[in-house]
Amino acid sequence: MNQTPPKGIAILKILRWPLALIASLLISAILLSSFIKQGLGNTPVRNGQWTTAMSIGSTDSSSRLRALVAIAGLLASTREDSMYYTVKEIDGVPLSLNCSYKIKGSEYDANWWSITAYGWDYYLIPNEEKRYSYNNENLIKNEDGSWEIIVSANKEGTNWLPVGASGSDAADKDLSQDFDLLLRLYTPGDAYLNSPDTAPLPQITEEKCV
Amino acid sequence: MNWFRWILAILIIGWIGQFPMAMVLPNLIMERLYQQAGQSLGYNKLAVRPRPDETFRTVVRPSPDLYYALCFYDLEQGSVNINAEIPERYWSMQFYQMNTANFAGLTNQRDEEYRVGSEIDVTLIGPDSDPAAYKGDVIQSPTERGLMLLRVSGIGDDTQAKAALENSSCQLKV
Repeated sequence: MNQTPPKGIAILKILRWPLALIASLLISAILLSSFIKQGLGNTPVRNGQWTTAMSIGSTDSSSRLRALVAIAGLLASTREDSMYYTVKEIDGVPLSLNCSYKIKGSEYDANWWSITAYGWDYYLIPNEEKRYSYNNENLIKNEDGSWEIIVSANKEGTNWLPVGASGSDAADKDLSQDFDLLLRLYTPGDAYLNSPDTAPLPQITEEKCV
Repeated sequence: MNWFRWILAILIIGWIGQFPMAMVLPNLIMERLYQQAGQSLGYNKLAVRPRPDETFRTVVRPSPDLYYALCFYDLEQGSVNINAEIPERYWSMQFYQMNTANFAGLTNQRDEEYRVGSEIDVTLIGPDSDPAAYKGDVIQSPTERGLMLLRVSGIGDDTQAKAALENSSCQLKV
């Protein structure tokens, strides 16, 4: 004697293929989104607080790295032209507008270099000073060539890199950091091309939080 | 047991699926840029952009230390000629295909430093064209459409950098 299955089970059996497809796509999207939100923190090349990837912009880069760069750094060059190091957290704590940070450095083996602050939306941060970055020529340096940059919401120090609310709607923010820092080394020397994890880079420390 | 196998299959397929999804995403982003920015700036035409500030929202992570000029190219009607003046400071001409990969580039750095102070004429051809049929600097794009980006250092005295971009061009070859 044949028993008819309950109606709910029967419907589920009919819909199981489209439901499985939707569930799989959802999982794929969540995993990819999670990878992208972690930024270059996913990549194996870490140098102090900075992270980078060797195949940014390259035709050899993996599909996930290319997707990440398309979202967070579209039109990046390959490393022979310029190398990109980012910082979005200090010792695992995301960069916050409530804290100030000190970047200490000297000269680096590259044609030129710059450090830029970007909002969580990856665009330049609105500020009254119209100061978005420092480069090796406009920094005020000490006699020995060393320099310091203070990254904070309120004016501090000689080389002040202001940060503040990003230009996009705060309701759209889905990243843990309020902003991040990007070091660009143009025509980097061999140390960066061959040993990006040990080559000399500026040091970043958290100064104080309110 | 049957449901367990279904759930396991969904998880495995979901994990694998992020990779083809990652392959599609850059194409969608580039297509959107190509359509939106291309329509306002024009195709096969060089658009020199002002120095980036907080209002620059065409592309993420603009550098405030660079001047940019873009040319959205379409090689369906033939090759494109790019003429550029090369300043003393850092200059680069990078080519991007529709999946966002930087497939070719020229610079005035390293062993290409000899280009400083000169003009360059680049012929950009499509994937089905024969590079041997062209003279001079030839770049073959893997896709019919894409983007050429000129970057020039804007640090220090930027007079030469701005002039170099203003005197450059991108147009269909006649």
